[in-house]
Amino acid sequence: MPAVQETIDQVRQIDVDQYKYGFETKIEMDKAPKGLSEDIIRFISAKKSEPEWMLEWRLDAYRRWLTMDEPTWARVDYPKIDFNDLHYYAAPKNQTGPKSLDEVDPELLKTYEKLGIPLREQEILAGVEKSKIAVDAVFDSVSVVTTFKAELKKAGVIFMSISEAIREHPDLVKKYLGSVVPTTDNFYATLNSAVFTDGSFVFVPKGVRCPMELSTYFRINEKNTGQFERTLIIAEEGAYVSYLEGCTAPQRDENQLHAAVVELVALDDAEIKYSTVQNWYPGDKEGKGGIYNFVTKRGDCRGKNSKISWTQVETGSAITWKYPSCILRGDGSRGEFYSIAVSNGHQQIDSGTKMIHLGKNTSSRIISKGISAGFSNNTYRGQVSAHRRAENARNFTQCDSLLIGDKCGAHTVPYIEAKNATAQFEHEATTSKISEDQLFYCLQRGIPEEAAIALIVNGFVKEVIQELPMEFAVEAQKLIGISLEGSVG
Amino acid sequence: MNMQTGKTLSVAEAALCEAYDHAVGDLPGDSAVLIARDGLISDFKAAGLPTRRIEAWHYTDLKALLRSVPDVAPAASADAVAPLVAGSAVLSVANGVAARAASAAGATVRTFAEALADGTAAAGLTARDGDDAIGRLNGAFVRDGFVLDLPEGTEPDAPIELQAVQNGGQTHVRFQAGIGAGVRATVIERHLATGEEAAFATALSELTLADGADVTWVIQQAKGVSDTHLGQIRVRLGTDAQLRLYVVNAGGRLVRQEIHVEVAGEGSDLKLRGINLLGGETHNDVTFTVGHDVPNTTSTEVLRNVVFDRARGVFQGQIRVAPDAQKTDAKMSCNTLLLSDEADFSAKPELEIFADDVQCGHGATVIDIDHTQLFYLMARGIPENKARAMLVNAFVAEIVEELEDEPLVEALEGVIGAWLDKHA
Repeated sequence: MPAVQETIDQVRQIDVDQYKYGFETKIEMDKAPKGLSEDIIRFISAKKSEPEWMLEWRLDAYRRWLTMDEPTWARVDYPKIDFNDLHYYAAPKNQTGPKSLDEVDPELLKTYEKLGIPLREQEILAGVEKSKIAVDAVFDSVSVVTTFKAELKKAGVIFMSISEAIREHPDLVKKYLGSVVPTTDNFYATLNSAVFTDGSFVFVPKGVRCPMELSTYFRINEKNTGQFERTLIIAEEGAYVSYLEGCTAPQRDENQLHAAVVELVALDDAEIKYSTVQNWYPGDKEGKGGIYNFVTKRGDCRGKNSKISWTQVETGSAITWKYPSCILRGDGSRGEFYSIAVSNGHQQIDSGTKMIHLGKNTSSRIISKGISAGFSNNTYRGQVSAHRRAENARNFTQCDSLLIGDKCGAHTVPYIEAKNATAQFEHEATTSKISEDQLFYCLQRGIPEEAAIALIVNGFVKEVIQELPMEFAVEAQKLIGISLEGSVG
Repeated sequence: MNMQTGKTLSVAEAALCEAYDHAVGDLPGDSAVLIARDGLISDFKAAGLPTRRIEAWHYTDLKALLRSVPDVAPAASADAVAPLVAGSAVLSVANGVAARAASAAGATVRTFAEALADGTAAAGLTARDGDDAIGRLNGAFVRDGFVLDLPEGTEPDAPIELQAVQNGGQTHVRFQAGIGAGVRATVIERHLATGEEAAFATALSELTLADGADVTWVIQQAKGVSDTHLGQIRVRLGTDAQLRLYVVNAGGRLVRQEIHVEVAGEGSDLKLRGINLLGGETHNDVTFTVGHDVPNTTSTEVLRNVVFDRARGVFQGQIRVAPDAQKTDAKMSCNTLLLSDEADFSAKPELEIFADDVQCGHGATVIDIDHTQLFYLMARGIPENKARAMLVNAFVAEIVEELEDEPLVEALEGVIGAWLDKHA
């Protein structure tokens, strides 16, 4: 099939070193010395003016972490990380929130400009109140700008950086932090618990429908800065919130570790929708550099009829190790996972989800679309389990992989565990290249090869794109385009 | 994944090591065989029995599940039973010892003990990888079995039955079969129990299909309710070879049946069909890997599992497609009827694909009996238990009917029917 050869060539040509978002913003940084010790943790905690209990919590996690081993089960391959060769804290010097645009560091504004943010954050930053998206910009670990706070406050929604929340709402943080991902959970989550520098905190009180989509832009700046975000979202009884997370990162030579933890708690009848577009630096064409993205994301459907939905578009990072999961504890609760994972160059993705059915009449749905090109390896790893009392648990899983080129790999590793006779699990997976029939059909109708491939790939991922909020769908499609430029057009 | 650093031996591990020290003196084999045995047992001592931390044993923690191992019982005897399909040539292994002077028309038959004694079997006494506990144990302990050769040009007119009957104690049996180019044959491998005593068995079969061979191979496992059966079959398919591999598990307390197929010749085809009838306290694990190593090969795998009582079922299936194996078409499905709230079933169907021009897929379902179908039958006056039995039977019998060998189909339906009568 001629088109595919062409596609392969083009994918090879564009490669990942043309990474569009590769630049670095020169803003003075306030850094902790390299390495990790109890002193560093005390330093971070002091920098953030944290209460004593928080420091203890961190130290406890750190001591636990010292006894843990790095996990090796994922299908990813990377040189050993020297955890003592990282900075665990870096904050922009300008720490107080600006009152007006003039106070915002012009470098920062330029950064947003260069990011080409299609959303209206530029306007928001400029104070133009047209958009309904609140941005809590996490600029290398510390929240710099928080907008729409007032409007959210009116609705009773708390949306702030987690360090602020620790100071202003210690009771809420104390109650929920670590209740979904305990400090003992896994190597990277425990490390995060010890050293997390910032992240977002969202609390939507009983019966409130959050009036806008909440969005955060993560940026990783400065060389060798470990980035440890911590996000905590709580939706009380009957509440609804949609949270968007998007990422771009500067180009650099050395590998960067990113070990975030995201915890979601949904009480009775609450719904949380969490969307991610991830486009961190994937390394150059030799596979050098790039972000290590070792993330623990978990949602707890704690209440009856609660719902948590994860949508992710993963196009960046050298290595991705990420399994957004749902614990379906409440009777009648529902979990969803929609994923597009695109790997090119030497990227390695090992991603998937876990749906743990504990309550009665729980249901879950998994749609995963993997696209591998170049020399990349793309693995779906997922678990669906129904426990003894999970009567009438339902799951539907579909994971499809598309291969572009013969040097890449696509793998599927599902774990399906039923311990209840009334459970109904359906799982299907396919791996193929772009269908010759479909391509022929398009070509025959005068659609050029590249446009035809774009059309087919678009169709392939459509089910997931549809799940993204409008504002993100456009960006997501753009990112997939950049990642697979040449083959997706 | 990797070897454990097991410092203290479990009761079963210690018993196996001790059994080896006792048995090694009178196990058949020349010096090469003895070196291979010693190597395998020392690897076993170092690694121990696999735990669930070993990915290939994720759902069968053998170290925890295998609490004890019966002693070798050389005095026990077992009698051969009637073949599954009347008229088959029976090569029988009674309590781990092969019948001398057994023969099958057209085939060259030797006992495995002879092959051990003259050292020709030494090369096969290997573990597939660091996690191959069955290969290690069988290689270290194997006493007897058969080496079966069907050279090019043979036309066996009846099925050949390899029959291993056990009455307590420990047995370690190996069958080696080489099917010559263009030979069509049906081989039935049976593992049966006659006694009530708890028995422990390892059974390893090595099957090679030369170019254009066309084979139906049936493995029937019907051990006793307190028996442990660790089975493995290693298969290699030549160019244009065709293999229909049927695996029927309906018995045993702790069962692991591994199936490893190398699809090594272009144009070859594998059809794996598995039926697992699980009841009582059975823990039954079927682990399957297929490697498509050359272009233009096909494989389909269909597993049907019925789980009653407090039984636990496991299916791990892995389809691997090598970088150059373009035009591979591989499809796997695993369907389970879970019929008791105390039963469970775990499936891990894996795809590992390194070539782009392929069609690979898998599907897995776990369901209860379809209530609308049940209602339909009951509305026509069929009592519930009978209606259920009919539906369960239809669920598994479907794949047996694909075999175009009437006496064999009838025999297998008989096995399924008899088991369901007892359990459903």
